[in-house]
Amino acid sequence: MHSYPLSRCKRELTKRTVLGILFLVCCAFSNGYSQNQSVSGRITDEATGEPLFGVNVIVKGTLNGVSSDLNGNYSIKNVTPENILMFSYMGFTDQEIRIGNTTEINVILIPSVDQLDELVIVGYGTKKKRNLTGAIVSVGSEDIDKSNLQDPISILQGRAAGVQVTSNSGAPGGGMSIKVRGNSSLNSGNSPLYVVDGVPIESSSLSSLNGSENFGLNPLADINPGDIQSIEILKDAASTAIYGSRAANGVVLITTKRGISGKAQVDLNISSGVSEIPRRLSVLNASQYRQVILDSYRNMDNPVTPNGIILDSLNPKNNGDVDWQKELLRIAPQNKIDLSVRGGTDDLKYAWSSSFLDQDGIILNSNYKRVTTRLNVDFKVSEKVTFGQSISYTNGVNNRINAGGTGNLSVIRELLVRPPIFAAYLPDGSYNGYQFGRRNPIGLAELATHLNKSNRVIGNQYVEYNILESLKLRSNLNLDYTSIKEDEFIPSTLDYREGYNSGSVRSINNLTWGNETFLSFNKQLGESHNLSALAGLSFQDWKYERVGLDGMFFSSDNITTLNGAGTISNQEVNITTEHSMLSYFGRVSYDYKGKYLFEANLRADGSSRFGEDQRFGYFPSAAVAWRFSDEAFLKNVDLLNDAKLRLSVGQTGNESIGNYTSRGEFMVGANYLDYSGAAPSVMPNSGLTWETTTQYNGGLDLSFLNNRLTFNADVYLKITEDLLYNVPIPRTTGFSYVTQNIGSIENKGIELSLNSRNLVGDFKWETNFNISANRNQIKELPENLLTNGFIQNGDFHILKEGLPIGTFYGYKFNGVYSRDEDNVNQVTNGALGQQFKGGDPIWDDVNGDNIIDENDKQIIGDATPDFFGGINNTFSYKGLSLGVFLQFSYGNDIYSEINHQRNSVVRYNNLSTDALDRWREQGDVTNFPKPVSDDPLRSDSRVQSRWVEDGSYIKLKNINIRYRFPDNMVDNLGMRKLEVYASALNVLTWTHYTGFDPDVNSYSGLREGIDEGSYPQSRTIMLGLNIGF
Amino acid sequence: MRYITNYKIIITGILAFFAFSCSDSILDKDPVSSFSGQGFYKTSSDAQAGVYGIYDALQSTFRVNFAYWGEGRADAVATNHAGDPVALIQNNLTQSISSARWNNIYETVSRANYAIKYIPDVFENESEFSLQLIAQAKALRALSYFFAVRVWGDVPLITEPYESVDQEFFVPKTDKEKVLDQIVEDLIFASENCKDNFSGDKTRILFTKGGANALLTQVYMWRKQYNEAIESAEKVLDNSQYSLVSMNDWSKIFTSGYSNESIFEVGYNETQTNALRVLYALGSDSDYFPSESFKAAFEDGDLRKNLIYDTTNATPKKIWKFFGEGFSDESPDPSSNNIVLLRLADIILLKAEAHNKLGNNSEAIKLLNLIRKRAEIPELDETQATALYGSVESAILHERLIELSFEGHRWFDLVRTGRAISVMGPINGLSDEGNFVWPIHEDALNRNPSLQQNDFYR
Repeated sequence: MHSYPLSRCKRELTKRTVLGILFLVCCAFSNGYSQNQSVSGRITDEATGEPLFGVNVIVKGTLNGVSSDLNGNYSIKNVTPENILMFSYMGFTDQEIRIGNTTEINVILIPSVDQLDELVIVGYGTKKKRNLTGAIVSVGSEDIDKSNLQDPISILQGRAAGVQVTSNSGAPGGGMSIKVRGNSSLNSGNSPLYVVDGVPIESSSLSSLNGSENFGLNPLADINPGDIQSIEILKDAASTAIYGSRAANGVVLITTKRGISGKAQVDLNISSGVSEIPRRLSVLNASQYRQVILDSYRNMDNPVTPNGIILDSLNPKNNGDVDWQKELLRIAPQNKIDLSVRGGTDDLKYAWSSSFLDQDGIILNSNYKRVTTRLNVDFKVSEKVTFGQSISYTNGVNNRINAGGTGNLSVIRELLVRPPIFAAYLPDGSYNGYQFGRRNPIGLAELATHLNKSNRVIGNQYVEYNILESLKLRSNLNLDYTSIKEDEFIPSTLDYREGYNSGSVRSINNLTWGNETFLSFNKQLGESHNLSALAGLSFQDWKYERVGLDGMFFSSDNITTLNGAGTISNQEVNITTEHSMLSYFGRVSYDYKGKYLFEANLRADGSSRFGEDQRFGYFPSAAVAWRFSDEAFLKNVDLLNDAKLRLSVGQTGNESIGNYTSRGEFMVGANYLDYSGAAPSVMPNSGLTWETTTQYNGGLDLSFLNNRLTFNADVYLKITEDLLYNVPIPRTTGFSYVTQNIGSIENKGIELSLNSRNLVGDFKWETNFNISANRNQIKELPENLLTNGFIQNGDFHILKEGLPIGTFYGYKFNGVYSRDEDNVNQVTNGALGQQFKGGDPIWDDVNGDNIIDENDKQIIGDATPDFFGGINNTFSYKGLSLGVFLQFSYGNDIYSEINHQRNSVVRYNNLSTDALDRWREQGDVTNFPKPVSDDPLRSDSRVQSRWVEDGSYIKLKNINIRYRFPDNMVDNLGMRKLEVYASALNVLTWTHYTGFDPDVNSYSGLREGIDEGSYPQSRTIMLGLNIGF
Repeated sequence: MRYITNYKIIITGILAFFAFSCSDSILDKDPVSSFSGQGFYKTSSDAQAGVYGIYDALQSTFRVNFAYWGEGRADAVATNHAGDPVALIQNNLTQSISSARWNNIYETVSRANYAIKYIPDVFENESEFSLQLIAQAKALRALSYFFAVRVWGDVPLITEPYESVDQEFFVPKTDKEKVLDQIVEDLIFASENCKDNFSGDKTRILFTKGGANALLTQVYMWRKQYNEAIESAEKVLDNSQYSLVSMNDWSKIFTSGYSNESIFEVGYNETQTNALRVLYALGSDSDYFPSESFKAAFEDGDLRKNLIYDTTNATPKKIWKFFGEGFSDESPDPSSNNIVLLRLADIILLKAEAHNKLGNNSEAIKLLNLIRKRAEIPELDETQATALYGSVESAILHERLIELSFEGHRWFDLVRTGRAISVMGPINGLSDEGNFVWPIHEDALNRNPSLQQNDFYR
């Protein structure tokens, strides 16, 4: 084996690219035409005999093209008898007719027998849908365009079986979680690999300020959905193993729109809308609130007088009766403009697009602006060589508010729990500042700065060379570069300390680049044997750099940049981390008459993240499929058009750990006064290696009634072993954890989808339905990790063998003691603690020892849904169409930490109106315990079933009405297309959940199903106009 | 032409193929902004940085807990503050209070263990420089363990760095006497190999021979080895770096730091801060204010009184000792004052105690009067001391109560001299010697199945 240093590799790459470009330039050539004649005719539907409008009629190999009018008539000029006319129409098979000497050509288009001839994007290539052997779900541009969502992940929610999408934050550009076939990792990320036009992109939030994960940003929001042609989600190992060690959580392939040959098509899409909160939550008013606070002091063991300020209704700081939701929520406008031009010749095709989004958040002072532009070009320089590129640039400015968590700075929490008596403004109009550890949320939203500005370039350049008709070499250079600047400033007006302000700045550069070079071979041998093969190698490199400063005591609130800071309290100068991978991959597929299909994949991945002896991992997969509808015994069954059985097995990996974890780390900056110090920060584990997921998949594809009804089912079993886990270790080691390969997890599930064209003809009705169920179970955890048989996972969850990952664990709330005497067993709080009295919660005493302690904790919920899915109905009549999309999730529990905050008097919180039913005196029968100030029993803050709620829901996610004006009318206006539409998002939600929205997930990682008060999702109504020239 | 170009492409393609068969060297990614674990200790400056890193952990250990551990359970303080302060003063210690966590102590120990193991490899030959670095690391390890045994009693004794998952994580408790043996061994090494002094202020915030001897004095007193205590105390007293400051400068020992009386203090600054103000000086909401019995304990004319707490009419009384007389800023900012852990007055009084225990009261009284004289309260003879305080030992302990007030000595003095129950019993019902130690934090128990909760708290 040759051994070249990296620099040599880079040189080689450059050399090759230069040669390729030279070659392309040398070989460019062009064609000319001569025109004289004209042809016209009528186009009809074979099935109905009705005329077809909008059929594209193009003279093959030219830019000359027209489309048919409402009556199916077309007329095309400047043709010669040698020309060939191409007739194409969505859902129908293309036809090509040589003109000859006639002037009238009437055409009957045949409905495409098969959507199965559609091409589906797979790893490093495409495949006809009919030849798929793995489990791949595809979402097309039509669904994407109609969704009116501003990022590609949200679009997948409810539309792809087996893909569970939850919202981390409803803020514009806010984070989303996506999970393909359940959680297969404990610690190392459960998000899929995203590949955009062949570029494996950075999909985790790079934001480092304001940035605990529960209010992260969505890096996929950098991609304009309007540019997307299709999104494919690869689910089973047969489809994903070609991506090896990054594929254990599935692979999402995003393909953008490319140029088309023919006359340039200009599309302008303008939309405007407004958002509002779909639901407000009820809280106490000032007088109800004061009474609760008084009660909470009276209920103390040794009652003390409440702090005078709380009761003093004459103090202008405390005489408010403020509805904080009203103060902070607003109707928020948004506007979007998309402009694209697509066109080209057979040899040079281009697609250019640009878009601008300006979206206000429903909470005061939050706003997101995004500008994207993209150019995709394919340039065929000769019969043999094609050169092309996709490049996009995105500029995002996200003016955020601090919405996450239950911390002191969260605006959302204050929205719900800030005492109503705290005046918003003082009589002189200034903000009513800091009180009782609480900052004024209006001030927080309006005065504090949380600005995230990002610039991102995603690009891919390729050269494709057809060595032989059946053998192709493709090499591409990909890069994803993000530069982010974040600014934070909290002025002294928001603090209780005179002149105490603070600010931060971070500048982040993240670059991943790589090369993929592969040969693909595709040949039909004789009549019945089809053979294709792929062999390639890839190199990928990641580099992350961050520079930042934190400062305080700024000389003025008006200078918010760090040069104004009196004291630099923290500096992160040039933090850099790197990571690289080197991979080899190959694939062989064979089919016999399309009836028996085989495929095998292998990828070898080497990663710098693992211990030197553990660096390379091998990820094989194999699949077989049998199209039994082609067998003689089914040939004559008219009902059944197509039937295929698929089986696959394979292995994939997960390498998502810290770049240097295996080697251990010494951090610098462990300084002692001015003396630079260093200290161990990560414990080494030289034996670290991949998580390996073995997946079995069985699938059935059926197509009935002339393909009007298609049905797909998949069942799978996924076993992940050698889980990378930050195993908690005794702090006596000097570390709190060490990353190890431990244990295993199993996911098994079933996915069904059904597509039906219920009505065809003038009035069309189409239904797409999908439903998935996944069962997650932890199979094995090493004995020595377990305390009381489990691992505590954050505050609310446990990890335990035999249970799913999202299991909530805590005390079970069984109501409230009505009287002191009702505690007949004299149950106490802990062995030495006090006895529970009237008004205290009744905790389930699991072991019956009359002592409520750790031993009485039990399973109190599960965040994973029993099943989830979506149903989309599209009705259309001529130019009018209506889409109604419902999305649902059933059986998932939510741990509502925000409800805990809303029902606890801690720190003078305001309470929900449930508190009106609180226990007040002996004999009260209620489920709301007595509020106690500074409660020694800490009844509210226990992890308990009282805060676990059923998070099942059905959501009317989207209604979309659009009207496309008839072509003859549009023609007169000099347009190709004119469409108006209205769309409503998050229209209605049916749920028992009492928070803002059951589609909530404050943490993007394993701690699923927690609502800590995320930025609420909004209901949005949009009006739009689509114009094509 | 066409064919040639085709060949070029093919050749380029094949070349590219092989170019990327470059070996695994592509996959060697060494950390850029940090060091790999085992690869850190390479040069003498690494060794120095590794030792400063131990002090960095020390800053975290003591930022709050020096007061919780040393004062929180004793009679000089009173509190209204929920959480640890109330739990400690009322003797309601639970396994979830924050002062029951030993994380920072063991982080210090771990950093010291790394330094002690790897520094010898950095230097080809043993040198004074390398030895004094190792000696500092050992002194810091001893300091950490000395707090650990006084706070929890038996604790896991770990003297090797953790570098592999094959090492034993679940270390059970070691008998506290064994831990103390290790402490003494480390401190003897430190007292022999630490530097005599560093230039300027550095000599007060890094471990020197004087620091090692002073700490050794405390350890011997804890172990009731009075002869050894006297011996090491004498080494401190004979050290010309240390002298009692005048009464005029007494406050500055704490407010400015780096005084001639200081033997070892933990350095803090504007960005590496501690919680002194929150602990003592917020007024309405600070963790602690002086107890009634403490305020009543001053002899008339004691010049220290106005320097130690707010003697004006204000209530509750702020503790002024660390901030200066008249200090009134109530902002709960972090503090940048150094925390003085070892100072000459402490060692003088410990030596006095040791002499008293060995029956040499005249020597004890002489030392006691050194401290009394400075505060301008009457010097005592044995009879007067006994008449005033019941015994010479009590007189010395009373002097320690005033002179070393709120510096984190009182609780350990009470335990060490067997007075904890008699003093604290009437205040909070303390009655069981098993209760002298803290419970082990639940988090530590959860993480280590080989650990058992201390008997009293089971």
